[in-house]
Amino acid sequence: MTTFLTFTLLGLVLGAVYAIAASGLVLTYNTSGIFNFAHGAQAMLGTFLYWQLAHGWGWPVWLALVVVVGVVGPAMGAALHAVIMKGLRDTADVTRIVVTVAIMLGMVFLSQWLWHPEEARVVEMFFGADAKVEFLGVVVRVHEIICLLVAAAIAVGLRMLFTRSRVGVVMRGTVDDPDLIRLNGHNPDRVAALSWAMGSTLAVLAGILITPIGGGALEANALTLLVIDAFAAAMFGRLRSIPRTFAGAMVLGLAATYVTAYFPTDWTWAGNLRVSLPMIILFVVLVLLPQDRLRGAAVRTRERYRVPTVRRAAVWGVALVAAVVLLMPLMEDTSITTFGLGMTFAIIALSLTLLTGYAGELNLAPLAFGAVATIVAFHFGITGTGLAARLTLWGILLAVLVAAVVGGLVALPALRLRGLYLALATMAFGVFLSNMVLRDTVEHTLFGVTFSLFPNGALIVPPLQLGPLDLRDPGTLLISATALFAAIAVGLVALRGSGYGRRLAAMKDSPAATAMLGQDLVRLKFGVFMLSAAIAGLGGVLMSTAAGSVSGENFAIMAGLSLVMLTVVGGIGYVSGALFGGLMSGVGFVIIIGTFNDLARATPEMATIYQTLGQVVLVATALIGMGVGKNPSGLVHDLFDGYRTLRGARPVLAGGAAAGAVLYLLALTGVIGNWWFAILTALLVMTLPALGRALMPRAVLTEEELARRRSVPPELAGIDEPYTDELRDRLDQELGLPAREGRGGPHARPAVEEGDVHAIA
Amino acid sequence: MKDEPAPLLELAGARAAYGPIEVLRGVDLRVEAGSVVALLGPNGGGKSTTMKVCAGLLPLTGGELRLAGRRVNGLAAEDAARLGVCSIPEGRGIFPNLTVRENLWVATRTGTRLRDMEEAAYTRFPMLGERRDQLAGSLSGGQQQMLALSRALGTAPAILLLDELSMGLAPMIVTQMYDTVAQLVAEGLSVLVAEQFARAVLPIADTAALMLNGRVVSVGTPGEIEDHLSSGYLGG
Repeated sequence: MTTFLTFTLLGLVLGAVYAIAASGLVLTYNTSGIFNFAHGAQAMLGTFLYWQLAHGWGWPVWLALVVVVGVVGPAMGAALHAVIMKGLRDTADVTRIVVTVAIMLGMVFLSQWLWHPEEARVVEMFFGADAKVEFLGVVVRVHEIICLLVAAAIAVGLRMLFTRSRVGVVMRGTVDDPDLIRLNGHNPDRVAALSWAMGSTLAVLAGILITPIGGGALEANALTLLVIDAFAAAMFGRLRSIPRTFAGAMVLGLAATYVTAYFPTDWTWAGNLRVSLPMIILFVVLVLLPQDRLRGAAVRTRERYRVPTVRRAAVWGVALVAAVVLLMPLMEDTSITTFGLGMTFAIIALSLTLLTGYAGELNLAPLAFGAVATIVAFHFGITGTGLAARLTLWGILLAVLVAAVVGGLVALPALRLRGLYLALATMAFGVFLSNMVLRDTVEHTLFGVTFSLFPNGALIVPPLQLGPLDLRDPGTLLISATALFAAIAVGLVALRGSGYGRRLAAMKDSPAATAMLGQDLVRLKFGVFMLSAAIAGLGGVLMSTAAGSVSGENFAIMAGLSLVMLTVVGGIGYVSGALFGGLMSGVGFVIIIGTFNDLARATPEMATIYQTLGQVVLVATALIGMGVGKNPSGLVHDLFDGYRTLRGARPVLAGGAAAGAVLYLLALTGVIGNWWFAILTALLVMTLPALGRALMPRAVLTEEELARRRSVPPELAGIDEPYTDELRDRLDQELGLPAREGRGGPHARPAVEEGDVHAIA
Repeated sequence: MKDEPAPLLELAGARAAYGPIEVLRGVDLRVEAGSVVALLGPNGGGKSTTMKVCAGLLPLTGGELRLAGRRVNGLAAEDAARLGVCSIPEGRGIFPNLTVRENLWVATRTGTRLRDMEEAAYTRFPMLGERRDQLAGSLSGGQQQMLALSRALGTAPAILLLDELSMGLAPMIVTQMYDTVAQLVAEGLSVLVAEQFARAVLPIADTAALMLNGRVVSVGTPGEIEDHLSSGYLGG
């Protein structure tokens, strides 16, 4: 009985902290419509700062608390709202989610930069772990009592705020109708800023309270994923009701401690189960939630994508393969391997183009499906042993099939609901996979079969052999992966243009209208999610063979999130956006960090600067992700728009191509290094549209833009050459005015400013 | 110069657009202090957009918006509300997930005390008093509109903007609503009311304006405009 009471109490304490975190999440989601994936990261950053003040610099605990919870927490929330969230009006769910994911990644990078991850840090309990009280035979730590009291105070406080204060009532009103709030004389921006400040404070508080409960070790990723526990709890109240969120948090906390208490200790996976519990509960709640009401109006957003024709896509596909073939002589073997790996990431990214770009649904854990496929291929798809081991085509097909089926199973509970729920389900699945499957490294027996899903924590995946095609050679792998990318990309473009693709687009724009036209939305989503999971699985297996050996780290949730983010940055509606996102997240980071590390090694006196620069680049990528809010259609979209205008300016295009060819030849003959070639080529590609506008404005600019350039209409200015003194004298003579005194005197100022003259010319 | 007071609310050559689509193409409209102006016209004529512009919800792209003679282009809706422009938008101007009392509470930003708000509302509409702790979304259409009108009762605004008060209401309730408006007018309130169904509003209007294709095409007494109406609606 004492055991039961003890664990119940521990469960309530854990639940109390979950509740604090979850109520912050619900608060911001409801007042701004933005689901904050960075909530856990905010908790993490705050807790690290608290550690730094209280333990690192030895400040008194109360002072550290006042600074972190009282100042930094609210300031962080208000700043996020002012700088980023405010600009997210009229954007699609995808954009909002990616922006908060980018913030989360940026905060993780930032914390790893400021606080080296390999150093151990411990946050101690308030009043120490030895401060205990005994009550009915149960020993309770003072820290735990504090957790319960704080949660209770917050529950009461929020209740009072929302029902007993006008600002709270206005916050609830903002959910219903922000415009009407303005008509009543309130500023909804101020209300949202307040709720972000409060949400952020609650996150920070939860982080500081929970870290000692979990053992005290401060670890960036674990705290960042606190958001998953929080949203599992929030799901009990459909992300709306705070009382139910508190109840859900208690269920979660109790379940977690009971698993620890009552599961047999010889079940090796019980510990993993405990970590995965929020995700399992999340799925159960998803299944139980009632169907979403379809919203009537079409979703109007700022994202715009053009659909290329299949022929154009095919031409570009061939061009891509040709470009890669041309680039190969420039690269060393290791670079070719890296590039090949990046191309397999691009294939995984294509799964997002289909799912998110075309169908408007979200998958935040594309790598998880790659992991599923890799595990299947490892267990069932290998012939031969040692160096002669090869992956079979059947193995890959089976792996892709299983990935598709698992994808369907993951998506099924969330399909009846809005896109956000599917995103949450996939993220939870990704974390579940990392915690349970990829950590299933020890053999165990189930139903008479002895196995482990992820033996020894690393899978050696041999390359594929298909008749004469042997992917052991990095060059062959790179070209095959590129060709496969191009083939799938063209296939997707064809799919987008087909009736099925139009149905997907219709579903994305207006689910209600699509349903009324007789489409079965659930089946449509289900099908496209399975197809997308299959593509991710295929890319994942290829990625594993390209890497040779993969561990759980290769499929970590953060890696998947950064792939999603960079694909959206590139342009989620375009297959070329997938190419950008895949290459950047697959190998771009590795290359950039590697280069800075090499530089640091080469010049030890500058080592710190280069290492810092490497960190800055990482944080900067997250900043680019946050920029998606400003330009939700993606980088590729802008680039395409630029080149579309160049159509009429063939000399500029030809010049650009010639310059590219010269660069290539210089690189091939070793006159310039690969880095210079890469940088100059990128520069050329980026600046050509601007160059075209400058050199051939008449061919490039539209009538309107040309008209705008002529700031003064010529008939009003009347001249198109500089107004010289000679002209002026002649005019004076014609008009019978007295001759001016002395040429070049104070009156010699031209009547028209020089700028105007240029504007006309 | 004449020593005539400036109109309470005035639009001069007002233009407004939703993205690239221009909806108001130079609207001229005056609401004198203490008068009721009815804005009439068929769907798509720009009535609701005019109301939004006056309430500060939509910025002007050209022309001027003046309040008591002062140019206030770009005025935010919340500031307009605090200056005494009380706007009840199309549909129901209420928060369905707040209780009746909380709806009134939100309206007190303009400086009124909640107790006074409640008293004014419940005296006029006793029905609301009985349901003060009920969610506004669960009220009937007429009661919701009463609640919306209560905002005008309690906050003593300078001008009331009413957009399609009759929408979705039974004719009897509409009459009752306009009776309330008429009483407010008798107490000195100025009103600009946009209405598709002219019959409901003409009896209380001092001036009527007919809107077609983003312009006010004619202004006159209710009687004069009534004669124009059929041609306005039918395009004759």
